[in-house]
Amino acid sequence: MKKYFAMMLAMLLLVGCFAACTKTDKPEAPAGEATPAGEATPAGETTPPPATDKLTVTIVVAGTFGDRSFYDSSKAGGERLAKDFENLNVKYIECNNENHDVQMRDAADAANIVVCVGWEFYDIADIAPEYPNVSFIWIDNATETPVKNVLNITYAQNEGSFLAGYIAAAMSKTGTVGAVGGEDNMTINDFIVGYKQGAAYFNEATKVEVNYTNTYDDPAKGKDCAKILHDRGADVIFQIASKAGDGVFEAAQEGGFYAIGVDSDQKYINDAVIICSMKKEVGNSIYDAVAKYLSGDKSLWGTTWVADMSNGYVGIGYGEAGATQQVPDDIKAAVEELQAKIVSGEIKVDTTRN
Amino acid sequence: MNNSGPSFWTTASSTLHFMLSSATPVALAALGGLLTEHAGIMNIGMDGMILMGAFVAAAVAAIAKSALLGVLAVIFLGVLIGLFFALFTVKLRSDEFIIGCALNTLALGLTGYLADAWFGLDGIRIDMTIPAMQNAYFHNINVPLIKEVPFLGDVFSGHTAFVYITWLLVIVMWLFVYRTPMGFWIRASGESPDTLRTAGKNPERMKWIASILCGVFCGLAGASLSLGKLNCTFVENMSDSRGYIAFACVIFGGANPVKVFLAALMFGFFDALGDQLKVIIQSDLPYAYLVNAIPYVITIIMMVYVVVSGQRRRERIAKQQLRKLEQK
Repeated sequence: MKKYFAMMLAMLLLVGCFAACTKTDKPEAPAGEATPAGEATPAGETTPPPATDKLTVTIVVAGTFGDRSFYDSSKAGGERLAKDFENLNVKYIECNNENHDVQMRDAADAANIVVCVGWEFYDIADIAPEYPNVSFIWIDNATETPVKNVLNITYAQNEGSFLAGYIAAAMSKTGTVGAVGGEDNMTINDFIVGYKQGAAYFNEATKVEVNYTNTYDDPAKGKDCAKILHDRGADVIFQIASKAGDGVFEAAQEGGFYAIGVDSDQKYINDAVIICSMKKEVGNSIYDAVAKYLSGDKSLWGTTWVADMSNGYVGIGYGEAGATQQVPDDIKAAVEELQAKIVSGEIKVDTTRN
Repeated sequence: MNNSGPSFWTTASSTLHFMLSSATPVALAALGGLLTEHAGIMNIGMDGMILMGAFVAAAVAAIAKSALLGVLAVIFLGVLIGLFFALFTVKLRSDEFIIGCALNTLALGLTGYLADAWFGLDGIRIDMTIPAMQNAYFHNINVPLIKEVPFLGDVFSGHTAFVYITWLLVIVMWLFVYRTPMGFWIRASGESPDTLRTAGKNPERMKWIASILCGVFCGLAGASLSLGKLNCTFVENMSDSRGYIAFACVIFGGANPVKVFLAALMFGFFDALGDQLKVIIQSDLPYAYLVNAIPYVITIIMMVYVVVSGQRRRERIAKQQLRKLEQK
């Protein structure tokens, strides 16, 4: 008796383990658990599954959903795809910051398009050639040499951050602005370089203080990091730390200073303290790339596509209609002008991308 | 430094302030972990317990709009987790390492799933501008007299209730472990269960009690994170390995509540110091990496210290016994 009970509980634990790593939450997907592409193994040559079958797009995110920012933007893109294309089956996998290669393989075993969201998926350069029939999209980073079935999408976050830096400096009363980054790496520093340059563009004397949380999951850490910057005089703080950045908004609320959101338009999270967001339209770019694929145009694969300000994937958002507007119209107008200058190439924004 | 940065003393007081606040969740969890350690259970499942505590606290507080109810719920949940943990490790005698791992994975998946199912993709966050929500989390307390003292005020005032309660609990736990019969039995259940059995006490029962209390403390640690440090917020994986640090603190402190608390403070200090230094020495990349490595370097140094001092102690005891034998 006892044994059966233990067995049952152990099974429950096991189920819990699976719930942790692969969470596919698409309600109406009873039909397509896995297209037979996986069974055919990498070597299989008859690729696209029979025409009657649905195409499967699997979005693999490096962290977890629920950041209301980067990853959730990719999910929004996936949801739009599922809505607009009937023959599409969209699945989601969260890696929770580990086993990126394993999750990527699992996704590729049973999908036609695998979207890898996060700079962490370095193994794509080795794994993608093993699945010649699967098309990969790598968000936020690029393979060193082009891989035939990989489309790299990188974002000109430095350009959007330039505008964020300009707004921050213009809104600051103390002349000191801050940024809380998730990690000291190339992508995050690309934001920061642009942010610093934008702040300096408004006023050479603006001081920019930067802190790193070294985690994307821990809002408590983000809160401490923002408080430290506030103690040092920063009264507008730009968060670039996913879920950890949530703490920045809380610190702003408690400390009475302004914050700038990132990736998605985060204004709705806290209308009182978030003055604007540096938007990086990950979802839209995924949507557009997949839509292109579905229309038969695969010319993008094997290249790196820079989604930048000129094609509208990077910019500033001030929230939806009805949101409180802290940024005065004259600053907004100046930002518009700067945007035009960046697009025309008149202003060159520094970058850490290579 | 020409641009009038904060003075050394402001930086120092703010570092110590953050040391106290970030040590609290770790210390609370470690206070529970030291009980299971005394009872001879290697508990690496604390991280999962914290995460579940953080979730339940935030969920209940957000729905009931009451932080106190959240804490009550967490205590109840802690008992359940403790029972669950003891069922496997004590009653069914499974490998505690595996159960700990399973608990961590289960907590991660379960809380993420439930947060998604009940509160939507966003996880749990409340709109702080709604007045009714002001009761859903613990506010910082400005301690009346200490607040006025120049340096100490900045360090010791302005924390949430959890921080102060933790200090109290450290003393209570020390008294419990070393000055009460129950504490003695719990220690005996780990060190020498047969002796305890000879004395007419059931060591397994002590292990159950230790594990239930551990669940409660870890749950409180989670609540201190989601309701104390943050304003009723839960996001997936927000415990961020604090349970493992707590486990390290238990080992460093030799499962003595006071020493364990000091170990947690030390981790908190280097954590806070790192946060400050990262800002001060900006853009000097090699230094920045060095700063990030500080906590790990300290961990290794402490590890060496613990191993060496443990060995010294054993040598000393062995020599003493040898001398006794020679005298006879």
